[in-house]
Amino acid sequence: MKRILKRSTLILVFTILFIGGAAFFCVELVINADDWANQPYNAHISGNGGLEQAGAIYDRNGVTLAKTEGSSRVYNENYSVRTGLLHTVGDNSLNISTAVQSKYRSQLTGYSLIWGLNMPQSLRTSHDITLTVDSNASAATYDALSSLGKPGACVVYNYKTGEVISSVSTYSYDPEAPPEINEDNEHEYEGVYLDHVLSSSYTPGSIFKLVTSVAAIENIPDLFERTWYCEGHEDIGGQEVRCVDSEAHGTLNFEGALEQSCNIVFAELAVEIGAEKMTATAEKMGINLSYEIDDVSTAKGHYDVSKASTNELAWSGVGQYNNEVNPMQMAIICGAIANGGNSVNPTYIKSGTGDLLKMVGLNDTKSRELVNPSTALTLSQVMPSYTFGSLSVRAKTGTAEVGDEKSPNAWMVGFSTDEDCPLAFACVVEDAGFGSQYARPVAETAMQNAALAIRGY
Amino acid sequence: MFNFSVVIDIGVVALRILLPLYAIFIVYECYAAMRRRRRPEKPLVTLMNTRTFEKIPVLFWENSIGRKKSNDIVVEDAAVSRVHAVLLRRDEGWFINDTESLHGTFVNGRRTEDRTQVYIDDIIRVGNTDFQFLRGDEYNEELRSSWFFKNPSRKPAVKSWKLMLMITLFHFFMTVEAVYWNDGKNPFSPLIIFGIVAAVDWCMFIVSYFGLRRTTFELEALALFLSGIGTILLARQYERSAYMQVISTVVGFVIFCAIIKLIEDPDKLYRFRIPLMISAVGLLGVSIVFGKVTNGAANWIYIGPLSFQPSELVKVIYILIGAGALDKLNTKKDLFIFIGFSVVCVGLLAVMRDLGTALIFFVTFLLIAFMRSGDFKTIILAVSAAVFGAIFAIRFMPYVADRFKAYRHVWEYAQAEGYQQTHVLTFIASGGLFGVGIGNGFLKQVAASESDLVFGLVAEEMGIIVAITLALAVALLVVYARAITTRSRSTFYSISACCAAGLLVVQLTLNIFGATDLLPLTGVTFPFISAGGSSVIGCWGLIAFIKAADERTYSMKR
Repeated sequence: MKRILKRSTLILVFTILFIGGAAFFCVELVINADDWANQPYNAHISGNGGLEQAGAIYDRNGVTLAKTEGSSRVYNENYSVRTGLLHTVGDNSLNISTAVQSKYRSQLTGYSLIWGLNMPQSLRTSHDITLTVDSNASAATYDALSSLGKPGACVVYNYKTGEVISSVSTYSYDPEAPPEINEDNEHEYEGVYLDHVLSSSYTPGSIFKLVTSVAAIENIPDLFERTWYCEGHEDIGGQEVRCVDSEAHGTLNFEGALEQSCNIVFAELAVEIGAEKMTATAEKMGINLSYEIDDVSTAKGHYDVSKASTNELAWSGVGQYNNEVNPMQMAIICGAIANGGNSVNPTYIKSGTGDLLKMVGLNDTKSRELVNPSTALTLSQVMPSYTFGSLSVRAKTGTAEVGDEKSPNAWMVGFSTDEDCPLAFACVVEDAGFGSQYARPVAETAMQNAALAIRGY
Repeated sequence: MFNFSVVIDIGVVALRILLPLYAIFIVYECYAAMRRRRRPEKPLVTLMNTRTFEKIPVLFWENSIGRKKSNDIVVEDAAVSRVHAVLLRRDEGWFINDTESLHGTFVNGRRTEDRTQVYIDDIIRVGNTDFQFLRGDEYNEELRSSWFFKNPSRKPAVKSWKLMLMITLFHFFMTVEAVYWNDGKNPFSPLIIFGIVAAVDWCMFIVSYFGLRRTTFELEALALFLSGIGTILLARQYERSAYMQVISTVVGFVIFCAIIKLIEDPDKLYRFRIPLMISAVGLLGVSIVFGKVTNGAANWIYIGPLSFQPSELVKVIYILIGAGALDKLNTKKDLFIFIGFSVVCVGLLAVMRDLGTALIFFVTFLLIAFMRSGDFKTIILAVSAAVFGAIFAIRFMPYVADRFKAYRHVWEYAQAEGYQQTHVLTFIASGGLFGVGIGNGFLKQVAASESDLVFGLVAEEMGIIVAITLALAVALLVVYARAITTRSRSTFYSISACCAAGLLVVQLTLNIFGATDLLPLTGVTFPFISAGGSSVIGCWGLIAFIKAADERTYSMKR
């Protein structure tokens, strides 16, 4: 009998393993409960019903972006504000998964693991969230971008504090009157549930010359003594590389080449620097990385020349080949160049409950060196300069060929050099044309209004 | 201003918070009652070494005698075999049985063959050592009892009828919640179900107390507590199944009583081994031939409106065959017959594609084989063979691999293979500690939520505390089964009780962790709570072994 008792220890071990597993599950539950509860199919929170008890969402100045009145959810009274910030704030559905009302729905409705999702309404406490965005700046940016009638994205953020001042993605719709999307109108709403600022990547075109520039400054010692001669086209690696419209730029130094956005010069530089060092620079600048912006991972960029021919390597240096970048990522890179090489991770959340801030990790400093400090300083002095109203700006435009009989992506990325307005921006318009023609006006509006928001009206 | 709705809300919330505490209390009381009303630790008889006059207490109903330290009675004598003989008690008196020892066992100088009765003052000779067989009270020293029975009181912790009252009240509170969350359905239908559940529970209690004159009812109470919860959860989901569940509970209880009666004399049962094996294989064979494929496994038999899963019954027979009395346990022939039988069972289940049950059988086989032989080498060999087989199956049978595709990646397959698991996780999280209220959950709309995913259903509607408490209530049966091991009337009972409890835990593990993606989802039921007639009946059959192992079941009558 004693022997049987001893052997039954095996069964006890099974039971202890089971209890251990149950404990492990409880730990998983405590850690992930919020994510688990926050699913679009969760009938306890989805639909308008789920927002009945949700707290309000404010912009940086306390302007109400969304709140619950009675049993319905109402949004800001201004059409441009609510449509422009649709992708940031969200609507009643959970279709826009990166929007605050989707991401933090359980926070807004006061979810906690202790009470689950069925506290009677009279006893439930809801929580407000204040965002960093400025409603006026976002509305003005939306008006400028949507007037082009193309899909696109524009983001402006403070590269010292990380606060996103305006963030707009088109196409968009009015959360007060969400459209019914069907076969007839789906082309009008292509990608409407995506926040292009965070979740899309595009061919960069000439804005990628910022990356090539960093690689050149660091790897070619006599860069600023050199001159190049541009005929508008040149044979590199057996095939042609052309400037836009085959325009001949003549004799150029490096500064001039960046100013004129000469493809020949940057293509030659990319080949001279070589695939290995180009890749190292792109990696360091975080092109192939995804950034964590308040729990949302941005779309990754793409720079991979491991299988590229010489000609393709040349094209990669001017942002063609199979390069891709994400708008938020480009804004972060520009912010890092302006900030002496170090990036400050952007955030949309200004304040909320302690739980929310912990979830977002607002107090963690997510800073990384993307560019060597001296290179950042050099580059920020040679980047083309612009004047956006009262703002001095260094920026780079881009016109990215995408093929498929589509017009190029128009880009503009850059930053302000004014001490009191540490703003970086990225603006992209799909299927448009020249960056200077399409992206620039949007960027200018966005930056001027963001400056107003920071300086005070 | 005084707001009346707030008062109602506070009442609903208060009920929901109190229910988990109440569940914990009931489970505690059940287990507390299992510890009480025990005989004090005293030797049954005493063996006195006639040369040294050293007295050895004989504590158990079945005692192995031998040179090895792990024997119940250790004889340090080179002429004694390592496991020499078994001294056992039966209703007719005491017997000794030589277990293939080298030099034999003698009673009053005569060599024994097979079981030989011994009487007080007889001389038993093993090797060169003589023992005089004396009464138990010849031994005067204090004996320590196991921690589980420390400070045993003669009185039960709680009277059985009070325990039943508490359980009925708990079911009533659940019913109140189910009436409150009626979804526009007939608000009072749960009351009818509750009435039937309560009536059936009390009938069983009365039968057990007055009819069978049993003094204890806590194990049955625990089972009724669990199956009542399962039934009332069904009231807002599949009302018809709730009635089926009650009927199954009645059938289960009848089988429970029948098995206890059947195994009253394990020696008699030993002779029916072979017919039992044949009937078990027959049952599985029938479900292969006539079985309908449901959810990928062909293990259901339909007879008119009734559906039935024979594998649940075979589980019970399997343990019945696997266990045995101590003196029959170690004969090689018996062990080989058992292994052969196991291979056939697992093989048939694999043919049926019922992976979950095949796995349960395999683990039960391991448990029984180990309990019988104590041989780790066999176990390791069997496990490695199984792992090899599993790798082979996954590698060469795509549908098997498909099942495991979403495992630990359920969120990537949230709308496909991971659908059930992600919904379980979401709704467990939505339930919080105290649940959203019975009938107010959404998991009930997911397929198999009343059976394979029932852990999620309980956690969503009653809260994670209740769900974990119910799981522990089942798992702790192992602790109980182990505590009564040495006090059982035969190793037949101890082995079958431990293995039955172990089987329930394995089932629990596969059910809970399968639904929550800690293990692949195999479609195994939660003992007593999952809807499913054969499952409930099978579980009652299993706890019959635990009940029989408790010495109070046969020896104490009112």
